[in-house]
Amino acid sequence: MSRKINLYLVEYAINALFRNRSKNIFIMVVFTLLTALLSSVFFITGSIKHELQSTVDALPQIVVQKIKAGRHYDIDTSVADEILNITGVSEALPRVWGYYYFENAGVNFSVMGIEQYAQQYKKSFDTVVNKFDFDELDSSKQMVVGEGVKKVMEKNYYNKYFNFIKPDGTFKQLSIAGTFKGDTKLESNDMILMSTENVREIFDIAENKATDIVVKVPNPEEITTIASKIKLLYPDSRVITSNDLQVSYQNIFDYKSGLFLALFTVALFTFFMIIYDKASGLSSEEKREIGILKAIGWRVDNVLKEKFYEAFIISFLAFLVGTLLAFAFVYLFRAPLLREIFVGYSQLKTSFELPFVFDIQTLFLVFFLSVPIYIAATIIPSWRAATLEVDEVIR
Amino acid sequence: MFSKKIVLAFMLLVGLYSASYAENTFSKMASGKPTLIQEGQKKKWCSVCGMNLKMFYKTSHTAKLKDGKKRQYCSMRCLAVDSHEHNISLSSIQVVDVNSEKLIDANKAFYVLNSKVKGTMSKVSKLAFASEDEAKAFAKKYDGEVTDFKTAFAKANASLEKDIAMIQMKKEKKMYPMGKKLFEKKCQESINPMDYVEINQLKSAIVSNKLCQPLKEKQLQAVTLYLWDVKRVKGADEHLKKIVVNKDEKCPVCGMFAYKFPKWVAQIFYKNGQTEQHYSFDGVKDLMKFYFDAKKENITEILVSDYYSQKAIDGQKAFYVIGSDVSGPMGNELIPFEKEADAKTFLHDHNGKSVVTFDKITKEDVFKLDK
Repeated sequence: MSRKINLYLVEYAINALFRNRSKNIFIMVVFTLLTALLSSVFFITGSIKHELQSTVDALPQIVVQKIKAGRHYDIDTSVADEILNITGVSEALPRVWGYYYFENAGVNFSVMGIEQYAQQYKKSFDTVVNKFDFDELDSSKQMVVGEGVKKVMEKNYYNKYFNFIKPDGTFKQLSIAGTFKGDTKLESNDMILMSTENVREIFDIAENKATDIVVKVPNPEEITTIASKIKLLYPDSRVITSNDLQVSYQNIFDYKSGLFLALFTVALFTFFMIIYDKASGLSSEEKREIGILKAIGWRVDNVLKEKFYEAFIISFLAFLVGTLLAFAFVYLFRAPLLREIFVGYSQLKTSFELPFVFDIQTLFLVFFLSVPIYIAATIIPSWRAATLEVDEVIR
Repeated sequence: MFSKKIVLAFMLLVGLYSASYAENTFSKMASGKPTLIQEGQKKKWCSVCGMNLKMFYKTSHTAKLKDGKKRQYCSMRCLAVDSHEHNISLSSIQVVDVNSEKLIDANKAFYVLNSKVKGTMSKVSKLAFASEDEAKAFAKKYDGEVTDFKTAFAKANASLEKDIAMIQMKKEKKMYPMGKKLFEKKCQESINPMDYVEINQLKSAIVSNKLCQPLKEKQLQAVTLYLWDVKRVKGADEHLKKIVVNKDEKCPVCGMFAYKFPKWVAQIFYKNGQTEQHYSFDGVKDLMKFYFDAKKENITEILVSDYYSQKAIDGQKAFYVIGSDVSGPMGNELIPFEKEADAKTFLHDHNGKSVVTFDKITKEDVFKLDK
């Protein structure tokens, strides 16, 4: 059985759409807006989820901090050697870093000390270390900044160098040797890398102290055992495992996506209202049209086909335009209003871009939530009208 | 009047604070010029471990070998190591007096052990004093017990094995990788560690002959240790890798895909005519089940994954823990370890029943795991 598309029917469907121009434009606009809203919600959640996951993946397995009087305190570097002696630990690296508050821009930079020849706990640092020699940067008083940091500095007329204010009030001037791209946008947006010696100078950290210690465990099953051993060894320490962090990140995300869910429900509810309105019955004019078509010799399946084309054209067009709008809204304009829901004002001050994640599944989800439902809502009442006797309809 | 009091009180506070601060930061570094008794450029460094003598001057010991050569060590630990390798006359041993920073006869010195000061290359620090009063005063300030050289040396010898293991762990996990990176980037490839008899000789040659670009003391130590311990012993440089499994390899015993369980993967290599082939297993238990029925003479190699490091190790030399609370993809497992000490730690941590070597694993043991 050949099933060629009857072009006359398609032509008729398009003409029928134009005949009811104002009504169809209204449906089209509402439909487009709804798919745009739905898909941008999905795009943003997808992107942020991806960003969070890569952040969590890049996290060290165990972080050890010293806690004194309930607050974070500098830890002895010798603790790292002691931790290294625990079986199952492959690396224990003291990190020297801190947040530097840049008052003019109202942002916090993460200033990170890099030791050129020690193991790096992050892949992105390995590439940076290959590109720049931090021993040389140390002697020439230079630093490497994240791409986002560079922009912030340029806005404040720091094009070639930056002045850090040390705790004693004096300046430490470091020139910008180059920029780097982190594993995540979050990372490169606020991170400055320099030699450990320079970080010690800027934050006044003693030679035998470090901010915290990151521990690498080759077998992830051993993380909890090793974490508890460290805790026993140093009762004054706070031992954070990557699992703990993942849970807390997930909590923030889930809380925020609750707000999104509310938005999502409202959008879907509106959509179904329109569908219900449409499905609840045809206007007498539409009924009469079907009746006349049948009177001049159309069969039921012709009528249904024509109605199907009509519904498909309008809904698929709206779906396409809607998703394209969502793409532009999210990835070109960076979701101006919706993003605020996720990126809390207090959590992140530096702006961050949503990484482009193309997930075919979300597109299908939006498609099946909208197009088939609309088509069904058009065809079912038409079928009801088409199966009635002609004289009954026209009368 | 009043303001003067405040100033005085403030000064007192500052004084107290700095005094207590000084207490926590006892430095083992020489305050002036250290007395170094070895000859030539190499005198700056310890003859056994290559560490900088100025940095660890207050724990430094010296000795004369039977052939008249003078040696200086960073600590009593290195002296103990050297006394096992060379003939050292105990009467020739001298030690740095912490207070005067001069060399005194160790046999007449008073040692403070177990003080709050961290040990050099050992868990317990051993500091020497010329008089008993000084030693007691020090012990009062920093805790610890006062003894003589003989007891201190005996203790150093007793804890030697543990200390060496501790230092070796640090070297392997931290210093060698760092040294390797530095050597590849900053040093001439032509350095041959075989040309030198002592580690401090190598170190001084690196500095005076400019074999490497300028290095900081810590970096220099890393390069030297890498050259001395790793490069000199051939083959030790090849670091172990993980077992590689193809995606289509199924465990011949249970039929599961082995690549899905990278933590547990084990392999048997065997000769099949001229070519070498292998089977991959999703755990040592299944490997053993296969091994018991296999033709042993065709097997060329058995690889298992070390539980802690996840690296491929020789299965026939490994140690296995039976009956722990850690289970693999097929339930209870035989858990492989490269070092016996690691196996024992695991046994303790995870309620294991026993540690066995490969040849001691019986069919009964293995099939019992499934019950």
